[in-house]
Amino acid sequence: MTELLQHIVDGVSLGAIYALIALGYTMVYGVLQLINFAHGDVFMLGAMIGWYLSARWTSEALHPSWLGALGVSLFCMLVCGTTGFLIERFGYRPLRNSPRLNSLITAIGFSLLLEYGGQTVFGPNPRAFGAMPVDPGEHFTLFGVAISYLDLISIGVALLLMVALQLIIFRTRIGTAMRAVSWNPSVAALMGVNVDRVISFTFVLGSVLAAVAAVLYASSYRKVEPLMGLMPGLKAFVAAVLGGIGNVQGAMLGGLLLGLAEHLVSSYVSSSWKDGIAFAILILILLVKPSGLLGKGTAEKV
Amino acid sequence: MNRTALLRAARSWLPFVIAIPFLWLIERKVALNPDLGVEYIFVNVNHIGIAIMLAVSLNLVNGLTGQFSIGHAGFMAIGGYISAVLLMRGPTDDPYRLFFLLAVLAGASAAALAGWLVGKPSLRLRGDYLAIVTLGFGEIIRVIIENTPFFGGAIGLSPIPHRADFAFIYAAVIITILVAKRLRDSTHGRAFLSVREDEVAAEAMGIDTTSVKVRAFVISAFFAGVAGALSGAFEGNLAPQSFTFVRSFEVVAMVVLGGMGSITGATIAATVLTILPEALRSLGEFAYLRMVIYSIALIVLMLVRPRGLLGTRELWDFFRRPRPPRQPGTREASEALIEVRKASITFGGLTAVNEFSLSVKPRELVALIGPNGAGKTTVFNLLTGVYAPTSGSITIMGRDTRGLQPHAIAHLGVARTFQNIRLFRELSAFDNVRIACHHLTRESMAAAVRHGALSEQEEAWIAERSEELLEIMGLSQRRDELAKNLPYGEQRRLEIARALAAGPQVLLLDEPAAGTNTREKVELMELIRSIRDRFGVAIVLIEHDMKLVMGVSERILVLDHGVTIAQGLPREIQSNPKVIEAYLGEKYAKEHFGDVART
Repeated sequence: MTELLQHIVDGVSLGAIYALIALGYTMVYGVLQLINFAHGDVFMLGAMIGWYLSARWTSEALHPSWLGALGVSLFCMLVCGTTGFLIERFGYRPLRNSPRLNSLITAIGFSLLLEYGGQTVFGPNPRAFGAMPVDPGEHFTLFGVAISYLDLISIGVALLLMVALQLIIFRTRIGTAMRAVSWNPSVAALMGVNVDRVISFTFVLGSVLAAVAAVLYASSYRKVEPLMGLMPGLKAFVAAVLGGIGNVQGAMLGGLLLGLAEHLVSSYVSSSWKDGIAFAILILILLVKPSGLLGKGTAEKV
Repeated sequence: MNRTALLRAARSWLPFVIAIPFLWLIERKVALNPDLGVEYIFVNVNHIGIAIMLAVSLNLVNGLTGQFSIGHAGFMAIGGYISAVLLMRGPTDDPYRLFFLLAVLAGASAAALAGWLVGKPSLRLRGDYLAIVTLGFGEIIRVIIENTPFFGGAIGLSPIPHRADFAFIYAAVIITILVAKRLRDSTHGRAFLSVREDEVAAEAMGIDTTSVKVRAFVISAFFAGVAGALSGAFEGNLAPQSFTFVRSFEVVAMVVLGGMGSITGATIAATVLTILPEALRSLGEFAYLRMVIYSIALIVLMLVRPRGLLGTRELWDFFRRPRPPRQPGTREASEALIEVRKASITFGGLTAVNEFSLSVKPRELVALIGPNGAGKTTVFNLLTGVYAPTSGSITIMGRDTRGLQPHAIAHLGVARTFQNIRLFRELSAFDNVRIACHHLTRESMAAAVRHGALSEQEEAWIAERSEELLEIMGLSQRRDELAKNLPYGEQRRLEIARALAAGPQVLLLDEPAAGTNTREKVELMELIRSIRDRFGVAIVLIEHDMKLVMGVSERILVLDHGVTIAQGLPREIQSNPKVIEAYLGEKYAKEHFGDVART
């Protein structure tokens, strides 16, 4: 029982990170119906920039502090937000009136660009990165379950950001505009919504969340490398679909469930099957309920 | 065997008769010649060949059929691993490479089987969801291979006997391209295209869209399997890491970059994208940037040519001249019958159509009128199987249509047009009409591939019939124009021509006069009447303009809020107080129909 609880705690902390990345996928899909395959690499960029700032450009990593961790995170958010904005501006906006497949190819192009660019600048070898003044091993024990401080931070930060995101989407003007655009861009435009600005904002928002996820992920796993965005990116995407793509609460739920499922499978079955379970869940959910757990089905009008 | 059959068979096999000795000669005299030092070049040439096979086969699904699959690497892996396992356990001596051929076919068949298993349940999903499922399947196949010691696990299989050489790979390339081209040019290819353009309209024209999609998917998986098998036997090893979704993405990029549906485009793009990273090696001290340049090139190419290198056209289309229109002919009459008994349908709490009954007799012209939201189009959707009635029954040609899909109902002899025009927009007027003939043809896909084109008789019959229909609808001049470029009124007429091509006994016209001016409307009604007389079809017509239908129809049904409030002869409808009030409004009724009733 204690063991199971332990796995659940670990799974949830991983799931919280997936959820943060998944939000970026789902928000972009909501407004553009585009699978932004470069999102996982924006996540990778966040971790890499974090390493540069804390270990290469400053000696922050040698004497980590909470203030430093905050500074590093903010800088990563700035860089990722800008990158997200630029990718949309130059990769997707010119293709707004072309078939959606085209944007998908440019998305793949940017994904490759970030990966190969990362390998060129950063080198292919992984590097250790920890911005926070706690080690992954430090923990306290509750009912026999070891809860690491980093897991606690991951879950706490993710929860905080999710609440903030809900407030942005449902309580602010720009959030209302986002919902309008996701409902129908041309009608939203006729109602005076600046659709391009809303889309840019959505990309920036998603990328900023990915940056936070990157800092949390890199701190927990102590590893940064140019291809680190591939699998978490794909998993987060699966999480978004699982919850119902385009649905913000769905992404959160999907992320948590996926993290949990993956951790349970790698603990009780074998860690080499953990990638398989993510995709098996994906296929199952799509064949049974294609719109995802919280998504609404759509029927075409004839 | 008579002479024409012999000629046809010869033409079918001609490409191989010519190509194979050439390939063999190149292999012997150039590729294997150590003095020339072309080994490295031929490694790349073979990589290109495998890429072409992958791109051209994926193009069948993504380009021609418009289904978005990003799991091609998975099928490639299956083909590769199955054939590799056979090769590694098979005879070490294989002089005529017959065993190798067998292994390749086994691998490809396994991939095709996997394609069927994946495609059958998932191809009912549309667009992005299908993409995601194929992505998931591709990844699962890789994970399974990684966890199966029999397939070498994460390390992979090695050494696989080197049996695939230049000649073998390019013979397979030629087969792949020929099959794709011959299928594309046949009525099956047009069925693929119709699914890409508009699934609802394709079903209404009698095309079984699910079966078409599954077939395209299976054929595509088969050739991906061939590519995988050849790749393994060429490299001498297989590793699961080379079949990740990144590999699938590369192939998708080739298809999109080449231009959706263009076979030559896919071939060129596969060549360019395979050469590019190799060519960039020659950058000298900047060679370390080559993959960065490759990805930037991919983005820029897509931005500069959003429709792909060749668009939807083929290389040779750029040199083709338009053909002159043909002279008209005639067609025999046929019989029809629809019987609807108390059909109702509810959406949530809303009853869109309530206890609707209708009987259509041969050669009858019935009009269905009613204000907006009365449920007229819903009636058509019920008749054509787009919706199933919540209660009541619909019998067409004496057959209960319960559980029948739209394409099956079209086969019974019901064709329709759509209120919001649903032409296959990116196809020519001629192709739009030809597609509707698809379900009237018998030739199998295999025959289409073998004969170069579909059996000439049938193809000629389709062409003749289609040209005739275009002629009747006054569209001969527009034969080769894309449907989307026709003016509005002509698009409406083209939809009618397409519906007629499906060989209906009942023709359902959903507001054919919408958006046209008064004079055009009068002409259109004349045309509708002449279609009825000429083709002997029964016609059910939805129309807003009451005056128009008065003149042309023999019987009128009036719907309001899903309820049939009146039916009868035009004259009876005109003076029916219920109709005047519910449909036209009291004021209008007094002003206009007071007069009509007196005259």
